[in-house]
Amino acid sequence: MMLLLTNIETLTPALKKFTFTAPDAAPLPHAGAGVHVVVEIPGPSRKWKNAYSLVSSPESTASYQIIVRRVEKSRGGSAWLHDHAKQGDLLEVGMPQNLFAPPRRAPRHLLLSAGIGLTPFLSYMHVPGLAFELHHCCKVEDAGAFRALLPQAGNITLHTSRATLDLHALLSRQKLDTHISICGPEAFMDFVLATAAQLGWPAAKIHKESFGGATGGKPFVAHLRRSNLTLNVGEEESLLDAMEAAGLNPPCLCRGGACGECKVALLEGVADHHDHFLSPAERAANNAIMICVSRAQTPELVLDF
Amino acid sequence: MKSRPVYAPFKLDLSGRAHLIVTNQAEPPEGIEDSLGEIEIWTVRPGSLGVPAPAAAHIRAFRATAELLPQLSHRLMRETTGLRFYTIGSEAFIWDAYNIAVQAGLGTGEISLHRAGPLVRRVYCTHCRTLTEDVAQNILPCPACGATLFVRDHFSRRLAAFMGVKVDAEVPGEIPAPEVFVS
Repeated sequence: MMLLLTNIETLTPALKKFTFTAPDAAPLPHAGAGVHVVVEIPGPSRKWKNAYSLVSSPESTASYQIIVRRVEKSRGGSAWLHDHAKQGDLLEVGMPQNLFAPPRRAPRHLLLSAGIGLTPFLSYMHVPGLAFELHHCCKVEDAGAFRALLPQAGNITLHTSRATLDLHALLSRQKLDTHISICGPEAFMDFVLATAAQLGWPAAKIHKESFGGATGGKPFVAHLRRSNLTLNVGEEESLLDAMEAAGLNPPCLCRGGACGECKVALLEGVADHHDHFLSPAERAANNAIMICVSRAQTPELVLDF
Repeated sequence: MKSRPVYAPFKLDLSGRAHLIVTNQAEPPEGIEDSLGEIEIWTVRPGSLGVPAPAAAHIRAFRATAELLPQLSHRLMRETTGLRFYTIGSEAFIWDAYNIAVQAGLGTGEISLHRAGPLVRRVYCTHCRTLTEDVAQNILPCPACGATLFVRDHFSRRLAAFMGVKVDAEVPGEIPAPEVFVS
């Protein structure tokens, strides 16, 4: 749907909040806690499709709000939003998708985020009666902006250094009915996952979301057997981007390697997996690839598409 | 129609931080003696002293399941994540223990169930809702309403019981010969 960019608020030099409404001010589709939307960003040479969590209240259908971090070495989407987007722009915003809803059967939630990974949890806080404890880690220079986004409450703690977050102690004292949700950069998620595994946490009680993993990398050639097409995937684009640029419409949802929607059978070549969906065994089988984030270890790949 | 849970052989899940084995058998499973130090075991041994101090031994022998199960609930409510919970015994017992564990917050990847002991079933009379314990054959009179029940291979995890339905509903008095359970 085409939405109107009605407000841009600068939170820090690297963080901006964007508010979208329908051009005719009609109510937008209801979006629950944890929802993300894919925003189409027009660039000078190409179009980007980036997924952003909604930070607005799930109750609100008047507008959607997202917070975008300007990524220095980005593919270009966030830089365009920061530098060129202006009030009154019309942008294509996809229907809300939810791959990170609060786990319904969990009586208690431990929310752990770092940096821009806070965004999905901002919508969680609007869920009535959600029993949660939030620990957010950020850089010292961003602390003021994040503090302003968070309510003052005993169950919310802001950490400006990993030293003040004693993760081992925190995870050790959780009762059996607690589930962990994590969102943040790869290194942060790995740190939490490793600590949890060391303490015997089962995978079923850990829920994670990560966007914007590695999408760029060495260029490679992809042969699409059924479409009878050969594509050059450049350094700055993903395989999914290249397929869309060639006029194809492969299924996809999160564009971040999390949902599994864009899985394509791999016929030849060796994949360089960057997703969070395939299990280690599936990766080792080397017969499928998540085209939104994964790339090639061999110069060429042959895909069943 | 068969509706039966399937059980894997007992095996310790070494990804856990701590282990609690609860069984309605008198003895813990064989082959775990070597690692007893890290494992807490609850058994049911009629004639034992009952509610032993936890520190006294890694094996706590309860006098009856009716003594063990309420203690289990209390124990799990105070537990922290990282525990692996194993329940071993009759289907009625292991699913009663399972339901207590789920209530305390344990879930997939933390609980494992294992069948052991005689092949007896808890039977639920679908007519009057009475539960009968330790049934060894597939035809029995309901002790409450008197209906002659046929025990179907239909298991309720919530009740930890098999469904018993009136066997002679079509032709009153026509009751087949009972068969002993083989599974």
